[in-house]
Amino acid sequence: MFSLQITRWILGYVRFSVIGGSPERFFSYCARSGIILWNISSRSDSGACVSAGLYRNLRFMARKAGCRLRVRERRGVPFLLRRTRTHRGIVFGTAAFTVILILLSLHVWCIDVTGNTTLDSRAVLSALTENGLYPGARISDVDTKRIEQKLILMFPKIRWMTINTQGCTMQVCIQEKTERPEIEQESGVCNVKAASTGQIVAIRIFSGTAQVKKGDAVVEGQLLVSGVVEDEFGGSTFVHAKAEIIAETSRSCEFRIPLRRSVRQSTGFTAVRRSLRLFGANIPLTLTGKPKGDCDVSGTQTDVRLFGTLLPVSLYEEDWTGMRTVPVTVTRQQAVAEAKKDLAEYEKNLPQGTKILSSSASDRTEKETLIYSVTLKCEENIAKESEILIKS
Amino acid sequence: MGNKNNLLARAGLGMPTHMEINGNTEAVVDGCSGVLEYDSDVVRIRTGKLVVRFTGRGLTIKCLTAESLVVTGFFTGIEFLV
Repeated sequence: MFSLQITRWILGYVRFSVIGGSPERFFSYCARSGIILWNISSRSDSGACVSAGLYRNLRFMARKAGCRLRVRERRGVPFLLRRTRTHRGIVFGTAAFTVILILLSLHVWCIDVTGNTTLDSRAVLSALTENGLYPGARISDVDTKRIEQKLILMFPKIRWMTINTQGCTMQVCIQEKTERPEIEQESGVCNVKAASTGQIVAIRIFSGTAQVKKGDAVVEGQLLVSGVVEDEFGGSTFVHAKAEIIAETSRSCEFRIPLRRSVRQSTGFTAVRRSLRLFGANIPLTLTGKPKGDCDVSGTQTDVRLFGTLLPVSLYEEDWTGMRTVPVTVTRQQAVAEAKKDLAEYEKNLPQGTKILSSSASDRTEKETLIYSVTLKCEENIAKESEILIKS
Repeated sequence: MGNKNNLLARAGLGMPTHMEINGNTEAVVDGCSGVLEYDSDVVRIRTGKLVVRFTGRGLTIKCLTAESLVVTGFFTGIEFLV
């Protein structure tokens, strides 16, 4: 029933009144001549509906039945179009909207990269562009399988990836590889040697024969634990020596801080350039040109999302700051503070488990450079495995 | 089939009329040859040699074609007049 109403509305229909004469005869004539009427109302308000194209044919039947017809309503698409004939803008607008909608639906609007944790999205997008997937590309021209294979070859970190087409959005799902942990060499035969010079304060041997004892002073490279184990019968076996040798060591380091240097400073000049990115094309929103001279530039891209869907429109803002190089003289105190910062960084990077017992620092100036010397007394594990090469 | 029935009716050879009544609210008449009277209380139609008279309240002809007709409303009586 609903489909019938829709069909009638598309084809257009007329609701008319039958005035005077014999409406029954008129309806019978219409039926006999094959004209279909519907929603026929009775004598008091006699009328009916008929297809727009057949209304003219009713006049003859009405005359025969002694009636007059009067149109009450015109409904449907043909009448709507006729009404908009004078408003050409609406017709052109609708046509333009349809054409733009069709054209846009054939192209990629935006690319959404998901699942990457260490890989930079911009690098992935750049690689996709190289392989023909970019905002504005024809969806039919995008060979997703080929692009997937190419990207997996380009980025060894990618374990698996897929490109899904969701309407006009290309969703790039990436899964990165999990780094394989280093496997500790346990099978080979080896000795344990001293990684640095120091005095032993504690020994823990897991396998092998100890060659030193607590309180001994050792030098770098000295054998601490042997991989050759002798049994009570005089026989010897080779083992993978393993031990934890804690020794008190001394570490010296120097930090050189130049007292005269060139520093880049802001001139106070700033310029902001904004542009609209539509399907990968840049449309400038400001008339400011690229500033000349030494400048620092930083850019921010703001993506536009509608109900969580990425749109092909984004706002790009560039902040330009004018810079100049200025010679600066650093005071001794400032240089020492900088050196202390470097020292703190150095202490952070010491081998794991290293304890700093004491430190002594001194500074001197040489050729406009502050030399900050530090001697650290540490307690650390100096055991270093050294493989024994056996010729068979 | 419908055209054949129409021709038979016109030739005065009688026409098989098929009538389907749904409760007392709708009647579909196949083989109708004209409307004789139409009002909200009474609808009289010709079906070959017979005249069928529907009486009731709020009677309307929903659809009218060359051979069929749909009458809706609240029927209180149906008469066949020879």
